[in-house]
Amino acid sequence: MAAPGDAAVAFGTGYAFTPGKGYVLPEYAFVEPAEIRSGDVARHPIVIIGAGLAGLTMACALARYGVPALLLDEDNTVGVKGASSRGICYTQKSLEIFDRLGVYGRIAAKGIQWSVGRTFAGKDEVYSFDLRQQGAYNLSSQPPFINIQQFYIEGFLVERIGELGGVDVRWNNRVTAFEQNAECATLSVSTPAGDYRIRTDHVIDATGSHTPFRQWVGASVTARKGDDRWCIADVRFTRRPPTERHTWIEAPFNDNRAVWQHLMGDDVWRIDYQMAPDADPQAVSRDDVVRERLARQFGADTEVEIVWVGPYAYKSECVDRMRHGRLFFMGDAAKVVSPFGARGGNTGIADADNLAWKLAAVIEGRASPGLLDTYHEERHEAATQNVLVSNRTARFLRPAPGVEKTFRDAALSLARQHPFARQLVNTGRMAIANPYSRSSACDRTGGLPVQNVSFSWPDGTPGTMNELLRWVDGKLLVLLFGDASRSSLERLRELSQTAPVRCVQVLGAEGRAGAVEHLRDPQGHLQGACHVFGHAWALIRPDSYVAATGESIDAALVHAVGRSLGTALEEEEA
Amino acid sequence: MKTALNLQDADGFYEQLLDAHQGLSPRQSELLNARLILLLANQVGDGKVLRECVDAAGKLPG
Repeated sequence: MAAPGDAAVAFGTGYAFTPGKGYVLPEYAFVEPAEIRSGDVARHPIVIIGAGLAGLTMACALARYGVPALLLDEDNTVGVKGASSRGICYTQKSLEIFDRLGVYGRIAAKGIQWSVGRTFAGKDEVYSFDLRQQGAYNLSSQPPFINIQQFYIEGFLVERIGELGGVDVRWNNRVTAFEQNAECATLSVSTPAGDYRIRTDHVIDATGSHTPFRQWVGASVTARKGDDRWCIADVRFTRRPPTERHTWIEAPFNDNRAVWQHLMGDDVWRIDYQMAPDADPQAVSRDDVVRERLARQFGADTEVEIVWVGPYAYKSECVDRMRHGRLFFMGDAAKVVSPFGARGGNTGIADADNLAWKLAAVIEGRASPGLLDTYHEERHEAATQNVLVSNRTARFLRPAPGVEKTFRDAALSLARQHPFARQLVNTGRMAIANPYSRSSACDRTGGLPVQNVSFSWPDGTPGTMNELLRWVDGKLLVLLFGDASRSSLERLRELSQTAPVRCVQVLGAEGRAGAVEHLRDPQGHLQGACHVFGHAWALIRPDSYVAATGESIDAALVHAVGRSLGTALEEEEA
Repeated sequence: MKTALNLQDADGFYEQLLDAHQGLSPRQSELLNARLILLLANQVGDGKVLRECVDAAGKLPG
C-alpha cells in the first residue's frame, strides 16, 4: 500500500511511533511471477493495482462473480508498513457490501458497533444523536456503523479472495509504467526477482492518493489544501470511556481546539486531536507530549497504553474523469477528502462495488461495453458530493481567522441556547450510500440504494436482500410487488429468457403466488427499501441500487433493463 | 426575495439595531451581527430567498 490514510496525508517525516505494543500486521509471501522466467507478456482481462480497501473490495467482488483478475501490490502486507491504523468507521452500506462478499461476520465479531454520537463545545453538550432511532437505518441486517481498524478488513478480504479463488494476488509487485492504445494497456512491473510486462484490457488504479497514474494519463484534478493539522493517538485505557462517538469543537483540554473520541477493535480508542495550524508533526507526536495531552483529557491517574501515534494533514482532491480509456480511478486515487464523516474509505468500497458488477457483466457478455462509462457518471457524482460535504465540515472545524471564526462563534453560542442552531454545528456528516441522479444507466425513478432488509422465503424461513442478490449472481433482479395478471407474469417469464434478468414476485402475508419464484414481505420492509408503494415493479442491480421502478409490466421495464446494461433493448426482443 | 417594504416599523427596527450595538467593541458588534444573521436566516428558512438575499447583499450600487 502506497498512501497512508483514507484522506490523511502524512507530513514531515510521516507517521511516528511511540513505545508501545503497536499493531502486528500479516505479511504475505512474494512469489516470483511466471512471466519473469518465461519472458512472456501475458494478457489479463483485468488488472487491479493497490491492495487497499478499494482494490481488495474490487478483487473480492470479481472473485465472487467468478471473473478472473490480477491484483498487484507494491508492499507485502495490509496497512502501511509499520503504520497500520488509518480508516476506522464503516457505514451500513459498506457493511452490506462486505456481507455480500462474505467477510461481514468477521468484521462484526472484531469491530465495535455504535449508534450514539455526542458533540460538545467547551464543557457543554450541544448536539447528540442515536442512529438507531432514525428509521433510515434500522431495517437493514447490518448496523448503522461498525468501527474497526482498516487493516483488519483488508486482511479479511485477502483471506476471502484466497478462499474464492480466481484472483491472482501478487505482493511486492510495483507498477512502474503504464501505456494504452486501442489494442490493450501495457503495465511494466518491478519485483524483487526482476521486472516484467503484462497486457490487459482493463486497469483499475486503487493505489491511493499518491497515485502515479494521474500523471501517466494526464488526468486533471480539482484540489484544495489547507493548514489544518491533527494528531491521532490510538490507546488502551484502564478506565474505559463510553461506546459513543464524542466530538468536541472547542475542547478545554486541547487549547480550545477540536477532539474526536472513538472506540475500535481490541479495546483500542482512537483519540484524534486538532493541532495548531501548521504544527510540527514531530513535536506533536513525541511520546511525552502525547501522554501529557491524554492526561489533560482523561486525568493524570488514568493509565494509558499508547498503541500508535499518527500526525496528519488532509487535503481534498478529485479527478475530473474517473475513466481514462482502459484505466479506471478508484478510491483515494480518484478522490481524497478530509476524514470527517468517514467519506474516504467508504467511498472507495462503493466505487469498487459499482465497477465490479459492470465489468463482470461486460466481460461475460451480459452488458454492452458502454455500461462502463456509467462508472464515471455515478461515482464522480458521489465523489463530488463527498468532497463538497467534507469540505464544509473542514471549514467549520478550521475556520479562517476573521469572519469565518466569528460565524462559528455565533453558531456555537446559539447552539447552546436554541435548537435550530445545533444543525449548524458540523463535526462531520456521516457517509451515506450516494444517490445517482444523472446516470445514463438509471431511470429518473431509480438511482437509489436498497438496504439489506429481511423478508420470508416461501417456506417461511427468513431471507435477506443480499441472499436474493447472491442467488441472482450478477444478473438484474425484477421484483414485482403484489398480485399479477397472467399476462404480466408471462411477459416477465419471456423477459427472463431473453435478457440477463431474474424475476421474483413479492407478496404480502396473504395473497396467492402466480410466479414460481416468489417470496413474502409481510411487513412491507422489502417494498419500502425499494422505494415503491402498492402494485409496482423495481429493477434492482447487483450493487443493490434500484435502476428504475414502474407500475405495469410494459415496454418501460424492457427499456429500463436495456439502459441498466448499456444497451437499447426493444420491446420486440422481450 | 421581497424588495418592497415588508417591515412593520422600519424606523423603529433601525433604531433597535443601532441601540443593540451601543457600547460594544468592534469584536462584540461583529459577533452580535453574526448571531443576528443566523437567527434571521432561520426565520426566513427558504433556500432560494436566502440565496437571493446573500447575493443582493454583496451587490453594492454601481
